[in-house]
Amino acid sequence: MNSPAGTHGVQAHGPSSLAVEDLVAGYGEVLALNSVTITADAGTITTVLGANGAGKTTLLRAISGMVRPRSGRVLLDGADRAGRSPEDMARAGIAHVPEGQGVIAELTVEENLRVGMMARPGIARRRADRAAALAEAYERFGPLAERRRRLAATLSGGERQMLVIARALMARPRVLLLDEPSLGLAPRVMTQVMDMVVRLSRESGITIMLVEQNARAALAIADRGVVLNLGRVVAAADARALAADVALRHHYLGF
Amino acid sequence: MVEFLQFTLSGISFGMIYAAIALSLVLIWRGTRLLNFAQGGMAMFTTFIALEVIYHTGSYWAGFVVALAAGLVLGAVAELTVIRPVLGKPELNAVIITIGLLILLEGLAGIFYSGQYRSFPAAFSITGLRAGSTPLGVSRFDVFVAVAVLATTLLLAVGFRYTSAGLRMRAAAFNATVARLSGIRVARVITVGWALAGLLGALAGVLVSPSTFLYPNSMDAIFVFGFTAAVIGGLDSPAGAVIGGLLLGVALSYAGGYLGANVTSLVALGILIVVLMLRPAGIFSGAQVRRV
Repeated sequence: MNSPAGTHGVQAHGPSSLAVEDLVAGYGEVLALNSVTITADAGTITTVLGANGAGKTTLLRAISGMVRPRSGRVLLDGADRAGRSPEDMARAGIAHVPEGQGVIAELTVEENLRVGMMARPGIARRRADRAAALAEAYERFGPLAERRRRLAATLSGGERQMLVIARALMARPRVLLLDEPSLGLAPRVMTQVMDMVVRLSRESGITIMLVEQNARAALAIADRGVVLNLGRVVAAADARALAADVALRHHYLGF
Repeated sequence: MVEFLQFTLSGISFGMIYAAIALSLVLIWRGTRLLNFAQGGMAMFTTFIALEVIYHTGSYWAGFVVALAAGLVLGAVAELTVIRPVLGKPELNAVIITIGLLILLEGLAGIFYSGQYRSFPAAFSITGLRAGSTPLGVSRFDVFVAVAVLATTLLLAVGFRYTSAGLRMRAAAFNATVARLSGIRVARVITVGWALAGLLGALAGVLVSPSTFLYPNSMDAIFVFGFTAAVIGGLDSPAGAVIGGLLLGVALSYAGGYLGANVTSLVALGILIVVLMLRPAGIFSGAQVRRV
């Protein structure tokens, strides 16, 4: 599982660096992001922290195309892709797992995974590749294999989170954007989700940007941390250094 | 008793036509959350196209096939030109646009063909069938109507369930945001949905026009019945559309048979009002609310 190319011969992109430069985005009159610059190196876990309303979710939405930036750049391996539609961004290799889980409840687990494959037409076209991709997902995420024919609506919170991450990975993305994956989950389940994120990073080397309310847990697994406040970056450093900065933690992160 | 059987069978046959219109409305509703008031008009228009082809080639089946193809094209073109701009805007815009499209189509048909009633050929014999010496109230053509609609419905159901294209359409209908984030081109899927709805409408048009004659307003009543059937079944439910169509067809057949033909529209509207008052979501809608 160490090679990003996977075991069934379909070449995937390697992990990519992700950066936003002077990104400005908002809703109507409200500017949620006010000239934000963040760099995430290929293969790293970068966590974006901050209070509610700091702009974290808008940041991910602006990267994935759900929100059109007013100005600024979104760089995937140095190529600017700001302003593209969500479908185009997904096909370019950015997988966004939005807040609130985002399973398609009316479809089965397997159908949800098949939807995930749509972003990479090269994979989806040949049936053997599709079957291999599904098998790989089931091997990695055992509980999903057991529930493959069940409607996604019947899954527990932790299982749904597993499903959305598994679905996002079906596209063999270069970058994974996770928006509050632990939201609404019991502490034990949250730990499992965090472990899953770490394993993902180690095994597939995918670049991960993780938005989290639970700053302590996020900093424990991340390489780098960025703190947003009112749409601006107030701190960006190695995760260990951020966690050790008591004054910063108290002021912006609540612990 | 024989009368009852006749009314039932003929009700089923007409009910299938209402089901086809209902299904086309459900398809559009699920995909775009719009009610296509022009559906009947589009069906009328494609039936006129079929008539032209039949006149010029002498072949019924050529006209039939061209009608269905024209339905696909008209549906797609309508979505791309007239509907796309109002997606995501206030719903009233879409209502006005589709009514405007209806008026446009009926106006164009009136210009090309005048209001004259035209006869439209039936695919098969319309002589009543008999079981022994008992007249059944339906003809070979009526059987064809039922089979054609059922076959199309089944094909669509299978397509939705087992093909990648069908999965894309379902994903986009259930959760367009997640579908987009998964790389599905939702805009394209919506166009296909409208094309398929156009096909269903075209099918209804050629199947009903032998009975109603063809003129610019000929599909108006059928649209109302189809809409009623869709509401009865639940606008979100394709199975409900078919069952609603059958129920309505049979109910109207009894009403027309036992109470007189001029009562049918009244009864249809009466049923619509009752369903909207008692169970507005439709009989077959699930208790589950669609999550966004």
